[in-house]
Amino acid sequence: MKDERDELLDELFRKARLMKPDTGSVEGHFETRLLAAMEEKRSEQYLWSSWTWRLVPWLAVIVIIVGIGSFTIDPGRSGDLFATFTGSDDDYQVTSILSGG
Amino acid sequence: MESELADERIIEDVLAGRDGAFIQLVNRYRRKVFAMSARFARDRDDLDDICQDIFIKVYENLGKFRSDAPFEHWLSRIAVRTCYDALRKRRRERGHIPLETIHYQIAAESGEELLAAEQARSLLEKGMAQLSPAERLVITLLELEEKPVREIAGLTGWSETNVKVRAFRARQKLKRILEKHHER
Repeated sequence: MKDERDELLDELFRKARLMKPDTGSVEGHFETRLLAAMEEKRSEQYLWSSWTWRLVPWLAVIVIIVGIGSFTIDPGRSGDLFATFTGSDDDYQVTSILSGG
Repeated sequence: MESELADERIIEDVLAGRDGAFIQLVNRYRRKVFAMSARFARDRDDLDDICQDIFIKVYENLGKFRSDAPFEHWLSRIAVRTCYDALRKRRRERGHIPLETIHYQIAAESGEELLAAEQARSLLEKGMAQLSPAERLVITLLELEEKPVREIAGLTGWSETNVKVRAFRARQKLKRILEKHHER
């Protein structure tokens, strides 16, 4: 059921349809702008992918350095698994003896 | 039919790496894309950006185009979705001041009719700015572009029921907005 407000709205749409967007002046040289935008997008993508590939050797070097460092520089690490687990427990026992717990 | 075949031939050329062929395709559908996008653009710069976005998406996805449907329909779907994205993006960026407004051609016969058309367009534009992006898209395609519900469903990817519900809600909201406007 259409009421009076529906009719008013339909009338507004009917009148508004008489006006068609005139885009002629915006369309001028659109191809040139489009090609430039496409070119820009392509070069951005190329730049991004080329940088990603350039970073790969550096990332590999960092991984190798971190790997070597973790085995040689860190003196706290022990190969004895039992000592690693009991080490933290020793600290707890010393604290509880000293505090009378 | 001949136009469809020609489109396919141009698409083959574009896929073979000829950018010049793509411009042929752009020139063929430019007017249509601009006319539809203008219903959703804030100003001339926004319209240019939306249309560039549409054709870049077409170029990037041309390899996915299947010739079982006309190219124009495939292009329209991309255009409608890009306009919808532009409407949603705009909701997040409020406070825009239009630079150069879009001009209109008026099919009115008298000065009185012309004035009434201009007032109606301006009033609807203010009302539609308060609708959600989905409601605005549906009501524009249905009432201003005069597209049938079935076609809108195909263009948006929403079901026909969904389109009808959104159109109904948009009308209800518009009626309330116009009522408030009359009260002032």
